[in-house]
Amino acid sequence: MSTAAHPVAPEELMAFLDGELPTAQAHSVSDHLKQCADCSNLAAQLGETQNRLASWKVELLPAHAEAAIRQSAEQHGSHLKNFLPRWILETRSGFGWKPLLALSLVTIAALILTSHAGQSPRLAHYAASHTISEVGGVAGYPGAIGGSGQPITDQQSRALSKQVVTLNSPGIAADSNGLLHGLGDHTTNSSVIDAMIARTASLSIMVKDFAASRLSLDSILVRHHGHTAQLNASTSENAQRSITASLRVPANELTATLAELKSLGHVETESQSGEEVTQQHADLVARLKNSRETEQRLQAILLQRTGKIADVLAVEQEIARVRGEIEQMEAEQNSLEHRVNFATIELQISEEYKAQLNNSSPSASTRIHNSLVAGYKGAAETLLGFVLFFAESGPTLLIWLVIILIPALLLVRRFRRAAAAF
Amino acid sequence: MQDALPAFVLDSEAPRTAMNDSLANPQTSNEAPSPSHEHPSDEHLMLAFSQGSAEAFSVLFSRYKQPLFGFFRRRLTDPAQAEELTQETFLVLLRSASRYQPRALFRTYLYAVGFKILRAQRRKTIFRATFIGVRHTSQDPATHDSPDANLAIREALAKLESTEREILLLREFEQLSYSEIADLLHLPVNTVRSRLFRARVALRNILLGSAPNPVAATLTESEGQV
Repeated sequence: MSTAAHPVAPEELMAFLDGELPTAQAHSVSDHLKQCADCSNLAAQLGETQNRLASWKVELLPAHAEAAIRQSAEQHGSHLKNFLPRWILETRSGFGWKPLLALSLVTIAALILTSHAGQSPRLAHYAASHTISEVGGVAGYPGAIGGSGQPITDQQSRALSKQVVTLNSPGIAADSNGLLHGLGDHTTNSSVIDAMIARTASLSIMVKDFAASRLSLDSILVRHHGHTAQLNASTSENAQRSITASLRVPANELTATLAELKSLGHVETESQSGEEVTQQHADLVARLKNSRETEQRLQAILLQRTGKIADVLAVEQEIARVRGEIEQMEAEQNSLEHRVNFATIELQISEEYKAQLNNSSPSASTRIHNSLVAGYKGAAETLLGFVLFFAESGPTLLIWLVIILIPALLLVRRFRRAAAAF
Repeated sequence: MQDALPAFVLDSEAPRTAMNDSLANPQTSNEAPSPSHEHPSDEHLMLAFSQGSAEAFSVLFSRYKQPLFGFFRRRLTDPAQAEELTQETFLVLLRSASRYQPRALFRTYLYAVGFKILRAQRRKTIFRATFIGVRHTSQDPATHDSPDANLAIREALAKLESTEREILLLREFEQLSYSEIADLLHLPVNTVRSRLFRARVALRNILLGSAPNPVAATLTESEGQV
């Protein structure tokens, strides 16, 4: 039976037998069926198969299962319908999760907000107390905060200035080298100095005229008896020029120096801090004093007493050790006093850069050539990287692959076998 | 296809006369069943049930308990599992009654639910068999499908390709129309028609035991035109 000879396709005939054809088409197929022996034969075969299938009877649903379903229906009707709201019913069926989700999100948000609101005052107090402890001697600095979290009043600020910054007091004077006497004279003037503060400031300035600012920086340092501890200048062409410097100026000149530096341009960032080293200095002085006394006693022993050579050598060794300690402590003391006497300014000066059009860039062909070379090198490096990686990690990967692959293959085989059962 | 000659019988366990009727007189099957007060439609009953009518569910349950059990029983070898899934399907129906909207025929909806549950069950069984090594409780079909004919049909159906087998079962036993099967299996209607034809031919050949049938040859010619 070919479709050329038959205007009715086998599927069409089957659809007609199934009652799936529109009425008009069904009539034409019906007429054809009466005349065509092949189609009648096919219809008979299909009907025969259908009858075979219809002979497959299934046992009745057991009574206990029917009773269980009816009981569930009764429970559903009596309990859920009557006592639970509709959205809970929908939740049980799987589509009412949205209200629950919204409720959960609102609850979580409320909990988070509540916990944050409870922590805020404590956090503020914590931050404030740490700020004041870190800032230390920045009395009189705008925006300084007291330990209680409240801004420092002018009166408190003045009191702190008096207590902390004693470098401007009449008892302290700078010598020709810029060293301040009175601070290091611990034996006699320790009662005069209430606190020793190592001050540090940080300043970032944007300037228009970079060259002039560079000259001004030198003159400011000379005027205030300061010096440059470190300086890095970047002055490349077609790029923003900048200077990063670490300056040391006498502590009593810090305020004036900062004021002059700020006048160079627009201040972008500024910060000041102070580290109190009074206790550290006092400890150092006491230890130094003890060591010196020990040294004197040892020298007296060496001069006044006689004994074995071994004893003499032992005393000399002890004197040498104590001497070393004294020198180390003296150096430490000098360094500490220098930090107090000379404040540090971390300065960054940047130029307001304006890009300029120039023709100094390489030609297009050169750039293409360079790109091709770079691309070739990159590809070669990548390839080499792959080779090196597999040479180094390949055997290990192979072992792991075998370890993982065999169970995976077994699982796939079992999965296919189980799926084939359906 | 919607104005097709209806050959549907709600109870798949009822005697099959549709094909023979259409052969005899195509006009007779052109009368659509109209809902009446004595025999309200499934959709009306489901709507009534969603509004709290226990009687409506009772009528629906009476109509579909056996077809649904047959649906599972023909696809599972374990009768206990078929009972369990039948119960589960009706429970889903109970729970989702409040959301029911009569967009499609109720039985399509019911079999779609049953189909989802069946697929979930198969996934679970395959997972257990794969990862835990627990075989599904397939009992000897001979003890439950007692007549030899049933066993032969089950074995013949098992040899069909899975989608074709499903299309054939949905058509022959659940009495779904081509478009309903297409909706259920997410296939085009023409594909359903051609694969149903292929399944019927293949099943006949298997049942005959069997040499190639002339019908199979025509299938090859006509398949490309569908």
